[in-house]
Amino acid sequence: MQPCFRRLLAILCSLGFATTARPALADPDRQATFDPAAFVSDYCMDCHSGKDAEAHLDLAPFQIDKKGADARMADKAFQWITISQRVMDGSMPPEDSEAPSIADRERFTDWVQTTLQRTACEQGVSPGRAPMRRLTRSEYSATLRDLLSIHINAGQDLPVEGAGGEGFDNAAETLFLSPLHAEKFFDAARVGLNYALASPRSRRQVLGAEPDANLSPHDAAKKQLQSFLPRAFRRPVTDTEQQAYQQLFADLFDVTKAYEVAMQRTLEAVLMSPNFLFRLEPTHESPDPKPLDDHALAVRLSYFLWGTMPDQQLMQLANQGKLSDPEVLRQQTLRLLQHQERVRLFAKSFTEQWLGTRTLGREFKPDARVIKQFDAELLGGMKYEPIFFFQELLTQNHSILTLIDSDFTYANRRLAQHYKIPGNFREQPRRVELPEDSPRGGLLGMASVLAVSSHPYRTSPVLRGKWVLETMLGTPPPPAPPDVPALDEVETSASAETLRQRLERHRRDPVCASCHDRIDPLGFGLENFDVLGRWRTSDQGQAIDSRGTLPDGTHFEGPQELKHLLLERKSQFARNLTAKLLGYALGRGLTFKDYCTVSEIVEKLEADEFRSHTLILEIVQSVPFRYHAGTDPARTVTTVE
Amino acid sequence: MNHQPTHRSGITRRTVLRGMGAALAIPWLEAMQTQTLHADLAKDVDAPVRMAVLFAPNGTRADLWTPQGEGTEFKLSPTLQPLEDFKQQLLIPTNLWNQASRSGDGHYVKTSGFLTCTTINKTLGIDLNANGTSMDQVAAQSVGRQTPLPSLELGIDPVSVGVDRNVGYTRVYGAHIAWNSPTSPLAREVNPRLVYERLYRAGQPQSKTADQDKLLLDRVLDDARQLDRQLGAEDRHRLKEYLQSVRSIEQRVQRATDDTATRWTARSSFDSVPKPPAKLPDDHQEHVRLMLDMIALAFQTDTTRVSTFMFGNAVSGKNFSFLDGVTSGHHDVSHHENKEEKLKQYAIISRWHVEQYAYLLTRLASMPEGDSTVLANSMILFGSGLRDGNGHDPHNLPLVLAGQAGGRLETGKHLTFSQDTPLANLYAAMLTAFGCSVDRFADSTGPLPGTLA
Repeated sequence: MQPCFRRLLAILCSLGFATTARPALADPDRQATFDPAAFVSDYCMDCHSGKDAEAHLDLAPFQIDKKGADARMADKAFQWITISQRVMDGSMPPEDSEAPSIADRERFTDWVQTTLQRTACEQGVSPGRAPMRRLTRSEYSATLRDLLSIHINAGQDLPVEGAGGEGFDNAAETLFLSPLHAEKFFDAARVGLNYALASPRSRRQVLGAEPDANLSPHDAAKKQLQSFLPRAFRRPVTDTEQQAYQQLFADLFDVTKAYEVAMQRTLEAVLMSPNFLFRLEPTHESPDPKPLDDHALAVRLSYFLWGTMPDQQLMQLANQGKLSDPEVLRQQTLRLLQHQERVRLFAKSFTEQWLGTRTLGREFKPDARVIKQFDAELLGGMKYEPIFFFQELLTQNHSILTLIDSDFTYANRRLAQHYKIPGNFREQPRRVELPEDSPRGGLLGMASVLAVSSHPYRTSPVLRGKWVLETMLGTPPPPAPPDVPALDEVETSASAETLRQRLERHRRDPVCASCHDRIDPLGFGLENFDVLGRWRTSDQGQAIDSRGTLPDGTHFEGPQELKHLLLERKSQFARNLTAKLLGYALGRGLTFKDYCTVSEIVEKLEADEFRSHTLILEIVQSVPFRYHAGTDPARTVTTVE
Repeated sequence: MNHQPTHRSGITRRTVLRGMGAALAIPWLEAMQTQTLHADLAKDVDAPVRMAVLFAPNGTRADLWTPQGEGTEFKLSPTLQPLEDFKQQLLIPTNLWNQASRSGDGHYVKTSGFLTCTTINKTLGIDLNANGTSMDQVAAQSVGRQTPLPSLELGIDPVSVGVDRNVGYTRVYGAHIAWNSPTSPLAREVNPRLVYERLYRAGQPQSKTADQDKLLLDRVLDDARQLDRQLGAEDRHRLKEYLQSVRSIEQRVQRATDDTATRWTARSSFDSVPKPPAKLPDDHQEHVRLMLDMIALAFQTDTTRVSTFMFGNAVSGKNFSFLDGVTSGHHDVSHHENKEEKLKQYAIISRWHVEQYAYLLTRLASMPEGDSTVLANSMILFGSGLRDGNGHDPHNLPLVLAGQAGGRLETGKHLTFSQDTPLANLYAAMLTAFGCSVDRFADSTGPLPGTLA
């Protein structure tokens, strides 16, 4: 490996550098003695000042030691983020010039990030744009279910979405449309409507009052469309829209001479309309953020907590203009959190993507040659444990720290056997109190989490350590360098070395150590769990050693002590979960400015025992959730040249 | 519509084209499915050229890929051995590289950029951009309107969950090689049964409800146009994607009702390939082969002329322990560190991919078309975006092309080019053979010499 690359790697590792603009957790002691003005003048200004500044980057006007420098920096936030990334990744200052120490690079980066964040927050929290986005596959299915009162998953054949932003499939930026989509939406609408017409209850949702001697087909259609269209479009419709669909009905009726067929096909068009398929929020061009209108707010709230269209009560409140009243919004949020079935869908969508457990049984299948006794019921129990757990956390207003450790979990019959928990269980998971000495409780005791952070054929302390850093603490380690593979974990029959010995040997290389000292110990703390999360005390004849030592010298042993260590980092955990949930709620990646909101929410959480309702209510009442920025009519689609 | 057959036999495609005015009266699909018709088609020399790309993640065993010998005198390498029967139909270029995919990360840029030959934006989602249209889509856009589906995108694994914060890319990049525009990756179908149904339906004239379909699609398009006026530029871009998507259905409906447009007719029946099972197969090889069958079916029937297939997403950790001698996942063994244990497994997995490619070639070669075969009228590329999985290196990419594109390519050759010849030159040659008038593609400097007939 080239020397400069090794250095860069060490820097990245020691910072726990996330690749987005995510403010580092600044260490006040480290900052106290750091002089940013001297740093910039010593290492940057030679090339980056004046008219002929390299890359047209002139740092002189920022006057870092003067008052007002902060605001100037905030105006050029993205430029400064780039600067700090270049300094941190070692590409600046260039190789032939005087280079700052690694410690100073870290301090500089911390300083840039804290300054930008502080200034952004002082300027007032601002909401982001509200990009138009189509319904995701699961939102589509749930919406059709409620709109037509049907019980099938009409969207199951739609293509699976990728993810963007904070890692969720509802991120507007990655919700693409391919020719395949319109075809699939067309099919799904037909399937959904056919299904609805076959059952008396849902048939009425589709056809309304059918024409008879006293009601002409056109009047029946008019009436039905008046009730269906606002529900489908999730807002009041204009007269023009109403008339357009009445006209469509009339044209179809001319062709088919049958009310049912004409109505069904009219509603197919409704379900293909961008007004139905897209979540649209009325745009404005004001430079100041504006509150969302009540209908848009109802839609945001409903898709956040239920993953589906607003129900009648929300629509009514929106029609009356009452939903934006903070107290009403609060009550409605709490009401939505009490709907067990729908909150479960939210819990499923959120936790599967946050924890990565959606891959279970899909991309992640345990190797049948190594892992015995894996079956569909166990898979189901594993998949649903975090979902039911998170559902209870939300509906019962538990502390979010129960995700780190808890005295209960959920298990079905097979999972209870797997965990060696006695009692009567069925195929459906149920709540179970855990005894004092149980290694279960919290995410790190869950078989699903322990499996997706393993290889299919054996456990990996590296993968599990990385999982803890990334998923629980929000500080993913940087990638292994391209020309050096991940640590050698593969058994070689010739060597009697244990996995631990091999990893320890590898960590003697300081470059590897800079990351793996942080990663591996966390994973070793979980070695008592096998690939599927079963408790074990030995592996292939070797006793399990679950001791770990963190870079700061803290020793611990086993999952319980690891959980205690994580509880000591509860603010960091809360910050990460808050950012994830806010990103999910907003359906977009967070920007630098959103971290002001995250910080504010974490403060409130800390003051209220980390209650889940506080977290949800604070997100719903936050500026980014309730407001939207204006669109700049001049702005075109941004592309990088 | 009149369902009485007006001709009992003797319909050739050219009679059909000449008699277009009367064509509407004939139930085409039924007529085309008769034996007589097949016999007539056999004389047809105007077979369309098809193009497919099979993408394998994680590179290959670098030392076991390159054939020995040069030009027409060459010996297949161990990894390419499964292609022995097709040696005369192969074109194996050595020393091509994809310069634009060099920087970034080890996998995502080499996947999304594989067919675009561009550098993709590093992002978790915002401003996602491949900065180019993929080669297959350039081809599809030139002929897409002549077939029911402009192109067919297939895969095995759904898009991977989440974003890769580790390297700073959304995993969307790792799951797409086909880019309809720089900002529009094309969704793939992963369920062979659904592909079959889609192909089958696309091939049916929708005469019964076409009038209704047209009315309701007009309404939808009108809604979109109304909306367009209220949107900012970025949202308008998304809406445009939707409009295009709806229009593709509209075109199909129009094809069924419009008797003046060039009407499409299936070149063969849909019987040659059995309907795949409703349940997604658990077995990886079976799943792959069912998907490859769908490409064969689509090409034989002429439902589309362009297809891409991904064996796995970038960084695929697919567990290959179903193969004798393999105990690990694909990505894991691709980081072989030159250790014998891993190299052996890597070789087995690499060869398995080539065997599946050979399976598709066998299928296509068994489909007669005139005096020729569908394979001879196609060009089927197999390759990966990096050479050695241990080094993530886009130099000297493992690539092999099969089929003469209806006599437009000279095959039966191993061609060694000067070091770091642009991969885009191969694509320029393929596009030329496909009949696209492109002067340049991405960083190409011209079609690869010695490839075009």
